[in-house]
Amino acid sequence: MLIQSILIIAFGGAFLTYILGKASSALRDFLAVLISVSLTVLIFLAYGKTGEIAFASFMNLPLVLRINHLSWFFAIAIQTVTTLSVIFSLSYMKGKERVDFYYLMMLLCNSAMLGIVLSGDFVSFYIFWEIMSWSAFLLISYNRGGALYAGMKYIVMSIIGSMCMLIGIMSLYSTYGTLNIREIHDLISTASGEYLLFISILFLAAFGVKSALWPIHVWLPPAHSEAPSPFSAVLSSILIKMGIYGFVLILYVISGAALYLGLGGGSFRYILTLLAAITIIIPTFNALMQDDAKRLLAWSSIAQIGYIILGISIGTSLGLIGGLFHFFNHVAFKALLFLAVGAIEYRTGTRDLNSLGGLIKKMPVTFIAVLAGTFGLIGIPLTNGFVSKWLIYKTLILNNHPFLAFAALVGTWGTILYSYKLIHNIFLGQLPENLEHTKPAPASMKLPFIILSVVIVLFGILPGIPLKLINLITASLGFDLLNINIWGIASESGPLNIINIFAAFAVALIVVWFFFLISGKKVVISQDNSYAAGIDVPKGKYHYTVDFYNPMFRMIKPYFRDYMDEFYSQLVKALASLSDRVRRLYCGDLGVYVIYIVLFLSILVISKIGLNLW
Amino acid sequence: MVTVMKILEIIVSPLVALIVGIFFLGLFRKMMARIQWRYGPPLIQPVIDLVRLFNQRGFSHGAVFDLGIILSLAGALVLVLFIPIGGMCPLANSGGLLVILYVMLFAPIGIALSGGEGANPNISIGISRKLILTLSYEVPFIFIILSLMSYYQTISIVEIVKAQAHYHWSLFSPLFLSGVAYFMILPAMLGIRPFDMASAPQEISSGIDVEYGGKYLAFSQIEHALSLFIVIALFVNLFLGGGNLPVFLLKMLAVFVCGVFIHASFPRFRIEQATKYLWFWPTIISFISLIVIQLIR
Repeated sequence: MLIQSILIIAFGGAFLTYILGKASSALRDFLAVLISVSLTVLIFLAYGKTGEIAFASFMNLPLVLRINHLSWFFAIAIQTVTTLSVIFSLSYMKGKERVDFYYLMMLLCNSAMLGIVLSGDFVSFYIFWEIMSWSAFLLISYNRGGALYAGMKYIVMSIIGSMCMLIGIMSLYSTYGTLNIREIHDLISTASGEYLLFISILFLAAFGVKSALWPIHVWLPPAHSEAPSPFSAVLSSILIKMGIYGFVLILYVISGAALYLGLGGGSFRYILTLLAAITIIIPTFNALMQDDAKRLLAWSSIAQIGYIILGISIGTSLGLIGGLFHFFNHVAFKALLFLAVGAIEYRTGTRDLNSLGGLIKKMPVTFIAVLAGTFGLIGIPLTNGFVSKWLIYKTLILNNHPFLAFAALVGTWGTILYSYKLIHNIFLGQLPENLEHTKPAPASMKLPFIILSVVIVLFGILPGIPLKLINLITASLGFDLLNINIWGIASESGPLNIINIFAAFAVALIVVWFFFLISGKKVVISQDNSYAAGIDVPKGKYHYTVDFYNPMFRMIKPYFRDYMDEFYSQLVKALASLSDRVRRLYCGDLGVYVIYIVLFLSILVISKIGLNLW
Repeated sequence: MVTVMKILEIIVSPLVALIVGIFFLGLFRKMMARIQWRYGPPLIQPVIDLVRLFNQRGFSHGAVFDLGIILSLAGALVLVLFIPIGGMCPLANSGGLLVILYVMLFAPIGIALSGGEGANPNISIGISRKLILTLSYEVPFIFIILSLMSYYQTISIVEIVKAQAHYHWSLFSPLFLSGVAYFMILPAMLGIRPFDMASAPQEISSGIDVEYGGKYLAFSQIEHALSLFIVIALFVNLFLGGGNLPVFLLKMLAVFVCGVFIHASFPRFRIEQATKYLWFWPTIISFISLIVIQLIR
């Protein structure tokens, strides 16, 4: 009953918001927030519940909803981010056109994602999947202009993916006569290896497109940067994670670990981990070269997806825990970063990293948000990203995958470079003259910042809270329970103990702070005073942000072009010219059409007489 | 008793690191002077400088300017606790080499944040170079660390030191090539010539340090001393077998003297040249080493 009411409120609320928006915009905003918050509460109440319920039928197939630890874990992440994005939108979308439509699509997309994680059979899964894809498409192209092209790229790739999935679903149905996920899991152990491989590849094409796995990632950078910022947060932190949910679903819920590891003699897992490693390295260096803040974050999202898939695809309990935890952490810090960049764009009108700077004095809360977000992204100890990345590295090293571990570790150092570029070029350095009257972010934007920053630090210091739940999930997927305490993981092959790191840091900070306070005086002076010796220097001339990593950029640029994107563009061009040639058959001249008909008929006659085909 | 020892270690090991690091700074200047046929400052000159700096007035540019430098020094102090110093390793059981790799980030990130608020273009250039250099030497460094971890089948640095005490130094084992590669990137990790482009005094006025004065400069110097200690201590632990405290320090001294000679004999690379060098020979050697380790295991 609870699951149905969640979905009814979600879908009903979305349309109600749209209708109400026609009457009053204040009422619409209030309703959107109310629905999101109440859904968060409802999902939170559903913690620990497991169950399955058939709510309708479609062509004699029962449509089933179910909830378990895995669904709950994804659902709470989805709903939290949407709620925060809706709260953020209150001021971000103020005064823009088609706001009713924006809220409708935002809430519809949210409902569809909830539907995906709560559905217990593939028909409803597919229906919700399509609703999600299309509402996301409409929101990506919300800004028109370049956004239309970005949206087109997204939806074309998305459709190809979902067609693959549809073939997979139909094949499953014709083989097993059921589409219930639980029943398929029971039946699939009898399937032949080749059939399983076939199904897995079809589904992974769909999920790979959605989660932007290299080489089918090319839709993501333009889509993320062109969408409205609150929706970019939703896109990057949860919509692409539906692909991750799909990976877990197909690899562990349906196949199960043992079948997955044996798939194609183990080569399937090998290729998947390799793709994940490439997905870390190439996008990381691409992110380094971006000048658009949101595009930088978009490339970074692809790289982090690589970590998650690497953790999941390695196929051990520790790796799966690391991957799922990194999913959760990425939700928190990438939503935070996109929202923060949205706030910067809202206040300054630009997100070009070459024309910002020195905003730390003007937008301190946003600075703290970006700092927390990037620390999580890098995985600095005492933030949540550290724990999940540690788990992934440890899995890779202990399972003897040093080259995959190398990809993951180098990706982290690339992350430091682009994260610092983000912080430096927006907040540090000199304030350009045209930004001198920038106002701080409004309260409705600060609230999501504070909540998400707290999440990042809290789960970094007490990783046991989410890890306990994730441990239950992996146990339900057939892995052994690990020994997890509130501070980390206890195991023979090297434990992780956050409390030691935390205590050491607290003491060291206090000691250093103490010495800082008792030693010599400090004088706070303006930034110009010391290096220009008080002389008036032309502002903006001495600001080293443009081409921040230029020496590196010059070196890696030839190697890290987006070759896949160029390949697809060429493919599209070739297809277009081919279609153009085909189109020329329809020349519009009646005489030519008559000749076509005569030719066709003569071919029929000749084949009947000469070849005697039928 | 164990707890008392532990607490004692937690207090003693940062002190050892501080004393040794600052001694190295003094020795560095003295040796450089003698190589250049000068008399040079007394050995305790860095201590005199520090006392003077702590009593001077320093400029600040804002909260992050202060916090960054505090963070970086605290990070360096914490890192010392994770590294075995002649048998002392108070935080051995907290995540091993992987945590060391990560805690090593604090010092440069703190300095980078602090310097960034300084808003001096020289600082920005310095940080940009420093970060590029870091990414460049991390590539071979990660190969080296992975070779070590897969050769000894552990992620704990204490275990690696112990294993060397039982058999032989990593440098004289199949890890020989890794050791060579580590020695090749050591100047880059220490930030000495030919890799001192991030703090080049003649080009960018010492880069990151340019806005620091008074206690800020003192903190930065201490952080520098600690990072000198940490990088050399890591090399001694991972490849030269650690040892008890006097032996350990003697080994560190030997590595350090080699570093000074390198510093004295080379001119400065440009940053692209540094990256090209680091991504070529050390990376190839450490990569071959990792493959060798995979094959013999």
